[in-house]
Amino acid sequence: MTTGSLSGSSGGKYRNLYVVVEHINGRIVPVSLEMIGEARRLMDDFNSRYNEAEQVVAILLGYNIENLCQELISSGADVVVYAEDKELEFSTNTIDTKVISQISKDPSLARQISPQYIPPYIKPRYMFFAADSIGRHLSSTVLADLESGLASDINKLVISDIEIRHEHKTKGATVRYEKTLEMYRPDFSGFLWTTILCLDNKNPEIMRDYHPQACSIIPGVFEAIEQDTTRKGQVLRYQPVIDADDMKTRVLKREILKKKIDFEGHRAIVSFGRGIKDDPEQNIKVIEQLSELLDAEVGITLPLSKRPYQLSESVNSKFMIPERVIGTSGSIVTPLIYIALGIRGAVQHIAGMKGAEFVLSINPDDNAPMKDESDVFINGRIEDVVPLIIQELHKLKERNSHKG
Amino acid sequence: MNVAVIVKLEPDFSEGNVSYNADGTLNRAETKNILGPHSAIACDAAFYAKVTIGARIAIGTMGPPIADSALKQAQLISDADELNLYSDRAFAGADTLATAEVLKSGVIKMLEGSKKDIVFSGHRASDGETGQTGPQTAWKLGYNFLGNVVQFVVDINRNYVVAKRLISLQGFDDIIEDVEAPLPVFITVDPSYKSLYPKLSQRLAYTNYRKEATRRAQNYKEWLKVYDGKSLQLDPKFVGLPGSPTIVYRVEKIPKARASRRTVQVDSSDVEGIKSITLDLAQRLNS
Repeated sequence: MTTGSLSGSSGGKYRNLYVVVEHINGRIVPVSLEMIGEARRLMDDFNSRYNEAEQVVAILLGYNIENLCQELISSGADVVVYAEDKELEFSTNTIDTKVISQISKDPSLARQISPQYIPPYIKPRYMFFAADSIGRHLSSTVLADLESGLASDINKLVISDIEIRHEHKTKGATVRYEKTLEMYRPDFSGFLWTTILCLDNKNPEIMRDYHPQACSIIPGVFEAIEQDTTRKGQVLRYQPVIDADDMKTRVLKREILKKKIDFEGHRAIVSFGRGIKDDPEQNIKVIEQLSELLDAEVGITLPLSKRPYQLSESVNSKFMIPERVIGTSGSIVTPLIYIALGIRGAVQHIAGMKGAEFVLSINPDDNAPMKDESDVFINGRIEDVVPLIIQELHKLKERNSHKG
Repeated sequence: MNVAVIVKLEPDFSEGNVSYNADGTLNRAETKNILGPHSAIACDAAFYAKVTIGARIAIGTMGPPIADSALKQAQLISDADELNLYSDRAFAGADTLATAEVLKSGVIKMLEGSKKDIVFSGHRASDGETGQTGPQTAWKLGYNFLGNVVQFVVDINRNYVVAKRLISLQGFDDIIEDVEAPLPVFITVDPSYKSLYPKLSQRLAYTNYRKEATRRAQNYKEWLKVYDGKSLQLDPKFVGLPGSPTIVYRVEKIPKARASRRTVQVDSSDVEGIKSITLDLAQRLNS
């Protein structure tokens, strides 16, 4: 490939897909490998379609992390840039933001990553972060620093050339935006999908470049690539500049919390959604009884964690809590039995339970998407059906104890 | 000590106030608006600073004129000394970066332009759900940022905040991290944040400020200041749609996934059917 063919429409000023990797206790967090897997698929396709040689660059910050670099290469990264420093042992937002920003803007690093492109290099073309406790905030501050756009909680990505006519972006003219990252995010209801684009302002009155096109990605939605330890890549060590003032923000100690809600430790999960609404207090009582009889953990859908009902504080704080949410905004579960009570079946919820071995749903609406995800679908209301199941379970228990 | 809170008016997701369309999407026209629940927690954290160290509190929100109702609710929770509404047609359609630009200028102007020691925001809005506006405002202000804070104390001798943060990462047990940072700091509060008032003097102060908050919120307009883009000295190129790097390109229904299971349907009146399902459940669990 000649240098000329690689200058591309944007002249190589913005290039490569940078993935910000997270790790804890010497292990890479799964979503980071999932992001690298998706980055690999997107960039393989990108390079063949546009005749480019842009790279998947993993950014890794920490202390004693050199041993993690090959795992990122094995998982699909072309390049790993790692910043190793005692000050980076624990993630603090200000230092991490500045180091990631330095790495992503460094022209000599960009030259080492892809010597075949002609300078200047300005910033990454695309950038991925994890939509979790660390990445959500880090993506926000890094993109504020890089002064570009960020979409959150993405579950589908497409790169394409798009014709845009926009009052502000193009001043009403039709403009073709090449190599645009279409970032799909499910909204809070789980039934709408919004595509976010990060576009340069081509309008002469407000002309501005917006790169990288960045997003945070929901853990568990993309597949990691099976590790290939023979895969080769570039591993580059970066010496960050850290301000003494920023070192004053310090992590003093860390303590691991034992999980209160234990989905893995139970063979069955009983979950409920907005279908409890006719009599939430009474329905929750019934659901609790059912879960006790089945030795099941109790799960909820995302909308219920927003406490939509007037309930006693004890019921609210026991059940309507984020820890119980099943779905991409909560836990991904794979129980032997999953019972979905009054759950319509938003995509985020289904993504969290589709790995269950047997699914029973109870819902009065047989158009609910949940039906197609169920082995057995009982067309009815919680208050009419669940008491019958409870009664039957009691009978079975009695019979067994007589036998026993 | 000066404390700021940025809040948002959001759809009220509580039953009776929220309205959904038949396809499961939110019916915005029929849904009421309130101070967002995470914003309310941020106001409670500011109130804690008032009770424990006598902080002065200013609240700010960007939104249409009706967003002043969120400020009233915020004052009721926090006993705020100042309410600020940033309202301008030019702000409409802003993404998180363009919103942060307005909020940054707003926070700087609060409390006669004095230095703000702590700025609070909620975890995320219940409608937009990005959780980006808080940290982006923090970055534009140049403040240390602490996210997911579940508890904090202000060490006024050292001018530090000492906080506990909750870190949840996929595939790992949750972590509680103790962290300290020099003032000024920007804090986003975790949904599980709790204010604790262990001392009797604090509980007395709590009661007094609560009464004051109720009185103030009845006449909240006396505390209200309204700013537009001009009075915030904002460059129109950096706010609203022109200042937003991102656009919403398309909104569509999420297509139904292909049926992944062969579904057996049973009617709720089919008692025998339900009995046999129950037996099947019990057998599966005992196998």
